Amino acid sequence: MPFAGNPSPRAGTEKVSFRYIFGIPPLILVLLPVTSSDCDIEGKDGREYQHVLMISINDLDTMIKNRTNCPNNEPKVFKKHACDDNKEGVFLYRAARKLKQFVKVNNSEDFNLHLSRVSQGTLQLLNCTPKEDNKSVKEQRKQKSLCSLGILLQKIKTCWNKILRGSKEH
Amino acid sequence: MDSILLLIKEGEFEDAELDDYSFSCYSQLEVDGTQHLLTCAFDDPDVNSTNLEFEICGALLNVKCLTFDKLQEMYFIKTKKFLLIGDSEIHVKLGGKNITSKKLNIVEIVKPEAPFDIRVIYRKGANDFLVTFNTSHSQKKYVKELMHEVAYRQEKNENDWMHVNLSSTKLTLLQRKLQPDAMYEIKVRSIPNANYFQGFWSEWSPTFHFRTPEITGRMDPVLLTISILSFFSVALMVILACALWKKRIKPIVWPSLPDHKKTLEQLCKKPKKNLNVSFNPESFLDCQIHKVDGIQARDEAESFLQDTSSQLDESEKRRLGGGMQGPTWPSEHAAITPKAFREDLPFGCLAGSISMCEALVQSSSRSPDCREGGKNGPHVYQGLLLGPGTTNSTVPTPSPFQSGILTLSPTAQGQPVLTSLGSSQEEAYVTMSSFYQNQ
Repeated sequence: MPFAGNPSPRAGTEKVSFRYIFGIPPLILVLLPVTSSDCDIEGKDGREYQHVLMISINDLDTMIKNRTNCPNNEPKVFKKHACDDNKEGVFLYRAARKLKQFVKVNNSEDFNLHLSRVSQGTLQLLNCTPKEDNKSVKEQRKQKSLCSLGILLQKIKTCWNKILRGSKEH
Repeated sequence: MDSILLLIKEGEFEDAELDDYSFSCYSQLEVDGTQHLLTCAFDDPDVNSTNLEFEICGALLNVKCLTFDKLQEMYFIKTKKFLLIGDSEIHVKLGGKNITSKKLNIVEIVKPEAPFDIRVIYRKGANDFLVTFNTSHSQKKYVKELMHEVAYRQEKNENDWMHVNLSSTKLTLLQRKLQPDAMYEIKVRSIPNANYFQGFWSEWSPTFHFRTPEITGRMDPVLLTISILSFFSVALMVILACALWKKRIKPIVWPSLPDHKKTLEQLCKKPKKNLNVSFNPESFLDCQIHKVDGIQARDEAESFLQDTSSQLDESEKRRLGGGMQGPTWPSEHAAITPKAFREDLPFGCLAGSISMCEALVQSSSRSPDCREGGKNGPHVYQGLLLGPGTTNSTVPTPSPFQSGILTLSPTAQGQPVLTSLGSSQEEAYVTMSSFYQNQ
């Protein structure tokens, strides 16, 4: 007859195995994005930004101001993502992908081309991991108003200036 | 059958690969509004490009690849869809298949548009030429910063171009570095500034011709006038200095000793302004001078002076003898009253000429017997009145007082004269005569 207070050795081993199999890997998967490397920025000298991207951002800004009268409050979605230190690449990556959401058929050709140039040009200068692509897709679909676009463009501009300032200091 | 066709096609490709399909491309950004232009051509003009196509892939907006259009032997594409970031690939295709490819960056093969409206303005004040020109890139967004090259030469000197590089659209050429009165031609071209956009030289602008001015000897009119006036002023001053040197300048700068005769004349002039005082006998030409026999006059003087206390010197006698020659006396017509005589003149003359200064006047005024002494008295004036030119002339007899010459009483006259001039009347006369004749 088995002793009640003393568990059998075989039953403990099975519990430990399940813990290691089903507990730790998900934990690793959850923590992995936090510890993953940031996007690498290639155009840190600022030439591409100053001679190409900034021109398109300014043209878009002018077109938006001529078409809409935007409020001062910032949408919540943008508050989540900021151009934090060591996170500039990620921010730009996400912002560039968001820009694609604003490309519409009813916009003018030049408007759409400028949007595409800023988005595609920024992505071309970034070397990010594929995980960032999957994560930001859902959020990009939400904001499509021109005022949001204007705010997004200003944030992109600010983040680029921060990157260039940082590269000059170094 | 299919295998045979495949072999034929492969043979075609082999022949095509033997040709040189190297090509070159250049881009022109914002050449038509916001549209860009990419132009490619084979380096070998003899290439049969009948079925060849050009295609660009990569660094394009919203599309993967674009196909070139063909115009004669040139392949071009006009589009807004250049990303302007990153490399693209140009493929040469024959029948859809790649013959050759080339990787390039659109922003590194930029060929600017040629400058235009080049002008040269001559600035006379600065003695230089201001060269200005215009470029369409000043209004563009992307390729704004250019480097320009200005080339100029004298028209007759072929292949002797001078080159100047500048980043602005103005240039100054100094006149002294150009040949005068020569015809020049000038042109300009541009290239991207190599900051981000790079590429090739543009085509030359249309040539502008200008002529440099002659170097004339003409001076500034104002300066010329001042120079001429200064020259003439200096010349006039030199002439005046030479002309007035003796009369005006030298007496002031180097005053000479005063002439005793002139000084004496001036002194005599002072009391009587209306009197003509002169040592020059020509001043008395209008006076009637009666010449007196010198010997008779001397005898009379001696006899008159026998009672006098003073004695004449030998030298004064000789002078008196010399002075006796050539005296002329005023004529009978010349008359003078004692009163006038006392007050004014010791000698008679219509003109009132006087040849004796105040000492003689004083002596004559004291004489109470002017009339009596007229005949017997010596002709004291002879030495005083006369110049050396009057000689051997007869001395007329002195007339009475009213109608003739009033001669002074020798006594009365002699004493004051002698008192003032010397020890005796004769001596005084001699002195004055010799004083006059020794000039």
